Amino acid sequence: MRRIVFPGELLSDKRITSRGIYVENGKSYAALIGFYDDEKEVFIPLEGAYEPNVGDLLIGIVSDVKPNGYVIEVGLPSDTFMSARDFREPLGMGEIIVAKVKSVSETRSISLADPAVLKGGNIIKISSVKIPRVIGKKGSMLSQIKDATKSKIIVGKNGWIWIKGGNEYLATKAILKIEKEAHTSGLTDKIGEFLKNNENGDEHVGQ
Amino acid sequence: MSGNENIKLIVDGKRLDGRELDEMRPLKITAGLLNKADGSALVEWGGNKILAAVYGPVECFPRHESNPYKAKLSCRYLMSPFASKDEHGRAGPNRRSIELSMVLGKALENVVMLEKYPRAMIEVFIEVLQASGGTRCASLVAASVALANAGIPMKDLPVAVAAGKIDGKVCLDCSKDEDNFGQADVPIALAPRNNDILLLQMDGLMTKDEFFKALDYIEKSAPEIHRLEVEALRKAYEETDAQ
Amino acid sequence: MVEVMDEIKKSYVKLLLNNGERADKRGFFDYRTIESNKGAIQTSDGSAWVKIGDTQVIASVKFDVVTPFSDRPEEGVLSTSAELLPMASPTFEPGPPSEEAIELARVVDRAIRSAEIIDMKGLFIEPEKVYGIYIDLYVLDYDGNYMDAASLAAMAALRNAKVPAYRDGTLVRDGTEKPLELKGDALEFTFVKIGGHILLDPSLDEEHSADARLTIGICGDKICSMQKNGRGALKRYEVEKMVDVSLQKYNEMKKHL
Repeated sequence: MRRIVFPGELLSDKRITSRGIYVENGKSYAALIGFYDDEKEVFIPLEGAYEPNVGDLLIGIVSDVKPNGYVIEVGLPSDTFMSARDFREPLGMGEIIVAKVKSVSETRSISLADPAVLKGGNIIKISSVKIPRVIGKKGSMLSQIKDATKSKIIVGKNGWIWIKGGNEYLATKAILKIEKEAHTSGLTDKIGEFLKNNENGDEHVGQ
Repeated sequence: MSGNENIKLIVDGKRLDGRELDEMRPLKITAGLLNKADGSALVEWGGNKILAAVYGPVECFPRHESNPYKAKLSCRYLMSPFASKDEHGRAGPNRRSIELSMVLGKALENVVMLEKYPRAMIEVFIEVLQASGGTRCASLVAASVALANAGIPMKDLPVAVAAGKIDGKVCLDCSKDEDNFGQADVPIALAPRNNDILLLQMDGLMTKDEFFKALDYIEKSAPEIHRLEVEALRKAYEETDAQ
Repeated sequence: MVEVMDEIKKSYVKLLLNNGERADKRGFFDYRTIESNKGAIQTSDGSAWVKIGDTQVIASVKFDVVTPFSDRPEEGVLSTSAELLPMASPTFEPGPPSEEAIELARVVDRAIRSAEIIDMKGLFIEPEKVYGIYIDLYVLDYDGNYMDAASLAAMAALRNAKVPAYRDGTLVRDGTEKPLELKGDALEFTFVKIGGHILLDPSLDEEHSADARLTIGICGDKICSMQKNGRGALKRYEVEKMVDVSLQKYNEMKKHL
């Protein structure tokens, strides 16, 4: 059974290594709000900033252009730099890229590799801990959104999601709904229904 | 702490608002009510109404204060000009609010796992919308819930409450009137997991026995405050569940 | 860095507008959902907590005894301040009021003052003593258009305000307070112009994309204040359209008081 736990709550008398858990005197405690499964000893945070890991796919934007490369913003407290040599063509301010985390330093600054430039589109930002739910089991959630909206969507582990074309409004609404309800069960079905009900509907908001 | 002899604050063992000596005022906490901030909480406690919001980890400012080993925790406590029933106050920081900001920040630093975010900054903003005695403790409770709501890793959810001495008796969670006419005030913040003392101030005159009685009252009420913090956070998720 | 993200949002907002859409599917002259909670602050003499979409503003009204201005010795004093709290947005800095905060306070103040809805002479107490009315505007959460939220909150707080009696040199708050008499309601309506499109109640992304902004104060069937901001220019017919929409929206907005 999984239960919702809060910072300071005792999770186990053993040492468990996981994000959102700290160990003191051999016992494990929650450091974040999240779900803990006592049997599987798995902790899933419900809130938390992006913590970079090597291999993560990130969405970033060019926030400054230097003589030898680009300052890339990815939503971390410090920006990262990419050499102009990593790109085939020169980039301009505000261009959107997708790239992989190549390394993470002791002070949590990162370097990026294998970039691709994304032309046009919009970026929405959600909490990075909700990203696994946006992707879903084996990508099931993401593919049902793509199918229903015909939008191009690339999900960054940093919580930045690039959306272009198709029913961008519906894709955005669906992703924000997943972020809001990430902790509930049966989410894939709920979103499936939401997409179906709103596919053609111009629900009117405002007053 | 004027210690006015003419006003009776305790009659037949009960306080003017009908409370027992070791009874807290009603406390209500709402988590996550602001959208732009990473985390937020509103604490309504007696006549206090206090809003706390958290941003972070963000880029450290000013940059020369960035630390390669841990994040900087910046805490700002401010009293609104309309927080008191009396005249309209002055906006902006003063000596009192600057001291309280520091004391609250240091208390929070004990539980916030700052070493997780080298060179970054975590910002805690506290606005006292209504003040009615015990604002620093209510502020700490608000900040504690807002930090958890923001997903800042913490070793515990700290709690805080003050005890005081009125009519020669130790009392828990003094109201503004009791504070004004009381003889001592002891605001304390605790980590409920192990009762570590994170914030401790004392103002007035007390015997050693009275002081430790005050601490007893505070320790005894800590689990209830902690329960209300946890419930507020839990509710922030349940509500979206119901939609 | 914020500016770069703004540019991406800007092209997205423009792309949508050219298809006749806003990002949240509202009509161009629709408000987001409005909520108003009067009396939210018990230490004030009048207050309101207003939400327009995700933007949240508190207004407080408080009375004090003050010395009148020497050129108006028999009139009360109205003083409006605004705080763009750093909790409301990562772009708001702690410190003394920014020029935006001062503009907000002055624009809200101007509509109330010009509409002459408060009987300033009625605030006279005795020679050298008049009532001061302090309006404080606290922007708590900023997702665009704090102007209209603050204006609505200020008006709702005035409608909620009770004037304490002056007795023996001080104001007495003992249940004998009387409602503040008001001769009308001044409310403000903010529009932005983005690439030739005119929108009411801009969201944050729309504000960032705006070439120009116009706030129009309405009281009854009259205009009581105007404030243009932004680098872009407005055409005469655009201003006329905005005035017409403001006059139309006025009664709807009054329902939230």
